[in-house]
Amino acid sequence: MDHILTYMTFIPLAGMAVILCMPRGATKAIRLTALGFTIPPLLMAVWLFANFDRTTEAMQFMERAQWIPSFNIQYIMGVDGLSVTMILLTALLCPICILASWNIEKGVKGYFALFLLLDAGMTGVFCALDFFLFYIFWEVMLLPMYFLIGIWGGERREYAAIKFFLYTLAGSVLMMIAMLALYFYNEPHTFDMLVLMDNAGTYSRTFQTWTWLALFIGFAIKIPAFPFHTWLPDAHVEAPTAISVILAGVLLKMGTYGILRFCYPMLPLATQDMAFWALAALGTWNIVYGALCAMAQTDMKKLVAYSSISHMGYVMLGMATMTVQGINGAVLQMFNHGTITAMLFLLVGVVYDRAHHRRIDGFGGLASVMPVYTGIMVIAFFAAMGLPGLSAFISEVLVLLGAWQYSPALAIVAASAVVLTAGYMLWMLQRVWLGPVNEEYASMPDVNAREIVMLAPLAVIVIVLGVYPHAVLDLINTSLTAINNTVLSAVPPLASLPLDVLP
Amino acid sequence: MNLSNIQSLPFSLPEALLAVGVVGLFLLELVVKRKAVLGELALVITAAVTCLVAMQSGGQQGLLFSGMVALDGFSIFFKLLLGLAGFGAVWMSLGSNEMRDEHPGEYYALLLSVTLGMFYMASATNMLMAYLALEFVSQVSYVLTGFIRGSRRGAEAALKYLVYGGVASGAMLYGMSLVYGLAGSLDYAAISQVMAGLGSGGVDGAVVAGAQPVIYLALVLVLAGVGYKIAMVPFHMWSPDVYEGAPLPVTALLSVGSKAAGFAMMIRFFYPAVSAYDGDGNWLTAAGVDWQSLLVVASMVTMTLGNVAALRQDNIKRLLAYSSIAHAGYMLMGFVVMADDGLQAMMFYMVVYYIMNLGAFTVLLMVLNQSGREDIEGFKGLAWRGGALPAAAMLIFMLSLAGLPPFAGFIGKFYLFAAIIRQEMWVLAVVGGLNSVVSLYYYARIVRSMYLDQPAEDAPGFVADRHNGVLVGVLAVATLVFGVWWRPVVALADRSLSFFTG
Amino acid sequence: MPEALGLQHFLLVGAALFCMGLYCVLTRRNAIGILMGVELVLNAANVNYIAFSRYGVGGVDGQVFSIFVIMLAAAEAAIGLAIVLGIYRRSGSIDVSQMTSLRG
Repeated sequence: MDHILTYMTFIPLAGMAVILCMPRGATKAIRLTALGFTIPPLLMAVWLFANFDRTTEAMQFMERAQWIPSFNIQYIMGVDGLSVTMILLTALLCPICILASWNIEKGVKGYFALFLLLDAGMTGVFCALDFFLFYIFWEVMLLPMYFLIGIWGGERREYAAIKFFLYTLAGSVLMMIAMLALYFYNEPHTFDMLVLMDNAGTYSRTFQTWTWLALFIGFAIKIPAFPFHTWLPDAHVEAPTAISVILAGVLLKMGTYGILRFCYPMLPLATQDMAFWALAALGTWNIVYGALCAMAQTDMKKLVAYSSISHMGYVMLGMATMTVQGINGAVLQMFNHGTITAMLFLLVGVVYDRAHHRRIDGFGGLASVMPVYTGIMVIAFFAAMGLPGLSAFISEVLVLLGAWQYSPALAIVAASAVVLTAGYMLWMLQRVWLGPVNEEYASMPDVNAREIVMLAPLAVIVIVLGVYPHAVLDLINTSLTAINNTVLSAVPPLASLPLDVLP
Repeated sequence: MNLSNIQSLPFSLPEALLAVGVVGLFLLELVVKRKAVLGELALVITAAVTCLVAMQSGGQQGLLFSGMVALDGFSIFFKLLLGLAGFGAVWMSLGSNEMRDEHPGEYYALLLSVTLGMFYMASATNMLMAYLALEFVSQVSYVLTGFIRGSRRGAEAALKYLVYGGVASGAMLYGMSLVYGLAGSLDYAAISQVMAGLGSGGVDGAVVAGAQPVIYLALVLVLAGVGYKIAMVPFHMWSPDVYEGAPLPVTALLSVGSKAAGFAMMIRFFYPAVSAYDGDGNWLTAAGVDWQSLLVVASMVTMTLGNVAALRQDNIKRLLAYSSIAHAGYMLMGFVVMADDGLQAMMFYMVVYYIMNLGAFTVLLMVLNQSGREDIEGFKGLAWRGGALPAAAMLIFMLSLAGLPPFAGFIGKFYLFAAIIRQEMWVLAVVGGLNSVVSLYYYARIVRSMYLDQPAEDAPGFVADRHNGVLVGVLAVATLVFGVWWRPVVALADRSLSFFTG
Repeated sequence: MPEALGLQHFLLVGAALFCMGLYCVLTRRNAIGILMGVELVLNAANVNYIAFSRYGVGGVDGQVFSIFVIMLAAAEAAIGLAIVLGIYRRSGSIDVSQMTSLRG
């Protein structure tokens, strides 16, 4: 399995090409083809999971080729514990989302072609180890996302799509400037992320600070951290179910992934300086703010969207603590949030498909109408609340353990926010699933086989990781400990390079 | 080599062919019955000229016509680009309903003359030659702008163009006279020697100490002339009106051809003529004459104004006019770094800009031919009423113009940003970056109109005509290919950056 | 007194002409008036070229240049008048403030 990462990235792209060649009317064949091209990456991800060497922090399954030698741009792919987790998540969610998109009737061909392009972009982002390549993949995702929201979305889809597009592009532009600054700071100039990390000790503090800020804004828009979060509720509300799943499950993780991949190992001094305000304090504020906003929502999807903002706050807080527990908890939380939020959005989507609205006060007593559905739903809700025995509990506890060592005050605030989370979750549960049955929806059919196929794997993962978190923790621990140590042990360079002329 | 007039002729075959074409077309119009032949002939001539220029590449370099024009890598690069621009304009004219009933012989002869003038703009190494070439291009452009008889917009646009052009080139002429007085020569090579001696009190008594303010003034005045050609703020006012009023193929030629020729002339004047090369890829301004910071500001203002003004345009020609002003600002980013990599980035960007902008204009031409509309309504639901391929091409061009990967426009911008970041011009970099974001908004409006809006119930179906479709297809594929594999273009730009100064 | 008449006098005349031309272009509403302003700007440069050619070290290049400029100015005036004539035939006015078909 040489080139496994390349295959995983480009098989969906090949699928897109195949779909573009198919006749427009063959909707069933197009759906099956799309599904077919997301299965091999999933199998490969399983293979990666089985064959990944958990004892080394070095990059694995490396591939390297020249691309544009005159600018020293290379094609480098490789994974460590951090990225392999994200690749697993991506490979898992993509077929599920294809299943969730089975009901799309409008422009089927375009939808699945764009979806596969998005899939390729996402996988590429997590595999790329050349900054330029990373940037290309990062940007390639924007376009399909714009169309998937803008064409297949809800009422205000055009507004939501362009808002998403502009916000993320603003972030990427800053990222490009930081990328070029790093490129020219290194002698010889390079985009090779491994070299950029190795040379981290030579970057002066001022250089690191400015570059860190530019990168951070780019990533914070994606997380999304307050105050860059306003695109998220709009995008989520308008996007079709599957796209919401991808957005919350994978795209948000790219923000935190980027911080861990770039800011931490490449700019450790700045990370030391910035972690408290930009990550820990802001992350805690995200937790509280997201939860408070979620409590005020009347639309189920918007509630889940704001809960995402809240949950991503734990990731930021966890990584900022720079303790082994905190940073491991953060990445575990990334994975767990990916699965749990995916379930929540899928569950909302199931109701929406049947009732064509998502108002919390528009339902009632669904538990007796749709028992199987409610069973799965309860797992997701309790997991989102952080109940022991389910996956998010472990990651949130790890984050809080780390936070306690780092700043007890923040840990207390973050921990109390769990009450808020329980508040809005239970409130929604009570209004939608319990109470008297709303006659209008008394005959709503329960989940069908397709919906069970897409929900069950996630539910199983949520339960398994609740009792056996080491399946993921073993994967990430070595790499994250190494990244953490880079930051902790960083000292300012002895002599500034001649190139260092930043103000 | 420095050749006399007669000796230069064998090296001027492309220009000679163009000149023959101009005269020939004027005469043929009198005798030929089937007028369509004339346009096809013009197409063949531009293609042949481009091939002839390509054959000159890698050959001997030198000064022709006693130092009037240079034959070097730089001029060959631009002549290739301009030849292709002429080719594109002729191709578009052949597929344009607007141009069908006009006098084809005169029209194509004028198109070829503009191309000829632009060739000389790109290669002139003497102020007289540069001025003549610029005026040649300008005056023919005025005529072309108002070429459609009975078009009120065209006539008004032509007059505006003429007035702005006359003043700008007059200012340039005045500035050149000051340079001439100080340097005592019209030759770029001689001027550069004088400029080099500026810090040390003058050469041959031609420049007196303390001449810096005068030189600065002269350079600003020259900048007015070339700045108007490239549509740089504050000399851009003509461009939205002229772009809107002129026939579409002419607009396309102005936006990709004139601009490139203007930049070529500007580079030749501001780099080899008035700046010194340090032999290591960097250029130094003459002592005490800091035109660089002036242009940094001009670049930022140009791109910002272009983009902000484009936001509220509904007429696509006008929108593209403002977009082309913004792109002049981006290209100036490469101009102000005073280094070879900046110039190479500019040259690279001009190739990319040619491809994507000509493509955008050609799609607009297809829409215009079909519906007679050139505003954003004409694009409404284009993808859903039979125009899937033109819409996809337009999508590629728009995103490329906005600078998104994996399209060529991104690579072009990437090189420009790389050049300025290497010189640590952070403010310019951030302003340029934010401008890209702003520009996405109006480019995405067109995309939205094509894809996200549904066509009206009674909207006529769209049938892509094959003639323009071929051009659009080629350009769209090029945009995509150069976005992923741009080595040949950048190698060409690298190789072509050589000024022969004698 | 010929000695009293030096380069700077000619340059001053040139500069004055340039400014007057510019002023004329900026203030006139009549299209013909604007074209005349453009001619003034060109002639300002001509004065400079001749003066530099006579008093400076430039040789006859300057005089040659001014001949070319006179020729080009004639061509430009011809084109300009043709365009103005076309506009006049259609709208009966050559007042530039009434040319408003291009806006945005």
